[in-house]
Amino acid sequence: MTQQPVPERLQISPFLVLYLIMSMQIGIGVLGYQRIIAEAAGYDAWISVLGAGLSIHIIIWMIYKICGTVDGDIVAANAYVFGKKIGNLVSSFFIIYLLIFALAVLRTFIEVIQVWMFPELSIFWFSLVFLILAVYIVFGGFRTVTGIAFFCIVLPSYLLLTFGFALKYAEFSNLLPIFDHSAKDLITSAYKMSLTYIGFEIPLFFYPFIKDAPKSQKWAHLGVFLTTIIYTILAIITFTYFSEDQLAKSIWATLEMWKIVSMPFVERFEYIGIANWNLIILPNICIALWGSSIILKRAYKLRQKKGVIILALFCLIAINFFDTRAKINFLNDWTGKIGFGVTYLYIPFLFIATMIAKKVKNK
Amino acid sequence: MIAKKFILFIAVSFLMAGCVEKEIIDDVNIEMGLGYDFKEDDKIEGTIMIPVFNPDKKIGNFTFSATATSARDLLQEVQRKSAQPIVTGSLEIAVFGEEMAKKGVIELIDSFERDASIGARVYLAVGEGNAKNILAGTYGNRGNAVHLSDLITHNTDNRNLPKTNLHIFLFDHYQQGKDPYMPILKKLEPEIIDIVGVALFKGDRMVHTIPADKMFFFKLLTDKYSQGSFKIKVDEEQVAIKDIDSKNKFKLAKREPYTIEVKIKIEGVIREYTGQMLTPAMIKKIEKELEKTVNEECSTMIADFQEHGVDPIGFGHFIKSKTRDFDVKKWEDDYKNVTVHVKTDAKITEVGIVE
Repeated sequence: MTQQPVPERLQISPFLVLYLIMSMQIGIGVLGYQRIIAEAAGYDAWISVLGAGLSIHIIIWMIYKICGTVDGDIVAANAYVFGKKIGNLVSSFFIIYLLIFALAVLRTFIEVIQVWMFPELSIFWFSLVFLILAVYIVFGGFRTVTGIAFFCIVLPSYLLLTFGFALKYAEFSNLLPIFDHSAKDLITSAYKMSLTYIGFEIPLFFYPFIKDAPKSQKWAHLGVFLTTIIYTILAIITFTYFSEDQLAKSIWATLEMWKIVSMPFVERFEYIGIANWNLIILPNICIALWGSSIILKRAYKLRQKKGVIILALFCLIAINFFDTRAKINFLNDWTGKIGFGVTYLYIPFLFIATMIAKKVKNK
Repeated sequence: MIAKKFILFIAVSFLMAGCVEKEIIDDVNIEMGLGYDFKEDDKIEGTIMIPVFNPDKKIGNFTFSATATSARDLLQEVQRKSAQPIVTGSLEIAVFGEEMAKKGVIELIDSFERDASIGARVYLAVGEGNAKNILAGTYGNRGNAVHLSDLITHNTDNRNLPKTNLHIFLFDHYQQGKDPYMPILKKLEPEIIDIVGVALFKGDRMVHTIPADKMFFFKLLTDKYSQGSFKIKVDEEQVAIKDIDSKNKFKLAKREPYTIEVKIKIEGVIREYTGQMLTPAMIKKIEKELEKTVNEECSTMIADFQEHGVDPIGFGHFIKSKTRDFDVKKWEDDYKNVTVHVKTDAKITEVGIVE
């Protein structure tokens, strides 16, 4: 099934892929990944962050190869490999994946607000308002979603500087001796980075919406590279700021580092930081809703406006079931696992299958 | 279309306004100081200090006390006595009575660590005698809590007190091969609080102290970069030296048994001199004397730590950072046999505006 080309007025410039990928990757995982990765590889885990980040480039390369071969998105690729019926069924799985992703992001962020700022914040009302905003943005079309992704990377980027306050307390000898853990530990840690890193697979959904799509590949690589650098530096700052047993107790190490920030005009920086984090998770939700609704449209011919509303309603109802830390943890764990499965198992599989299908069809 | 959106916006604003609880600053009691004292029968007496903002712009103090068996019950007990809710967001200092510090403080500190609204810069201190006594009183004109925290800040930045706060305490407590410390406060007169030394902890229990006159040497060892001031005697003349910049560096010279070299570099200026002329020869002599004193004092202090089994300087952590598969259990025994050589390099850069 080849795809109808997307009209140029709806397409985006190739360099914007950088912002789309970064804004989708940076979300809620970054608030507390340090503790999770340090469980296995201790304070060598920053090597895992770097290693996992580098391995993503192979997947990005595969994604562009797949999309370039079928000249379309994931629905086209699945149809190309499996045929239309089975292909659409496989594609539907991505609707669920993106929904779970959106759910995990939104619920974890609400949890952060509840723990750090307002314990009585209502899950339902906050989700309602947030989802109305997200649906409104998705109604604006893919270009609007991209615009939001751009602003939500640029505007909160100043937050990176605030981690400099923690450097004043940095004890770099914490990192020594380097390579004190086995390769197996390092790989386990890299695997645990899944939740934090996922999001880079989105070119699969919007590939046809990029003008001169193959040209955007270098921007996708650059986006992933920047995220990797940010995560690695943040991991190193965290490891020098906390002692190992102290970090083991910190659920949100990134936020906890804001506790040391002191500025003359604000007593607690967390409040500003968490409020700003709204902007960081907004594109996460928007892109996930947009992506899942476009698959609905492509696979089942459902109008995208209808699809978005249905999916948002589903999120709004489902989110109320995750009411304790344990359940939220469970949700995040599984999002990470499914994300790992999609990016490191399914995409390579699809890549190989596409290459074989191409050979067969050309004969 | 625009009118529709506007109505939606207004409706949502009204809906959202009532979503979370409000805390109006005039209607809450802001807890700024906390004290814990150990009472008989394993009971803890907690004291909460709140500022009272008087109409004449003076800041008064008010303390609530309550006795309970655990730290969590304490706040409950005190809340019952308070007409307005007590909020913890701007805690400045927590003082532990000496008895309490000897019994262990980590359970109490846990409540600060857990509370998202409490910052990491909160000061922790041991109160000589009891903590309640230190919090009750009137010091300075900015309220007790601010006065006490300013006292510690100033002494850390310019004088001989090593850096401390909640984050550093927790960092050291959870660090393998390092023990935490806190300053000790003492009420001298009804309106004066003095820092009389540093309390050393093993785990979370206070086991040893350093008197105020040795704090200068302690700071040289613990803080990577430090400032302070110190007085020595050279040829029957008194010299007061202000240390404007000092650095320390550890080097592992030998293993089995461990030998550590501590290099301290001091750059100082002379503030007071009771003799006649400060000749270059005399300055050399002062430098030599300073080096000798620092070497001796630091070595005695380290030997004293080894004897008491406390490691506030973090030699254990230092060796851990140089050793693969570091064995903490074995280190506990090894620590007593570590040889530490202190080498000081002192330099007097200025002597003031007269010779």
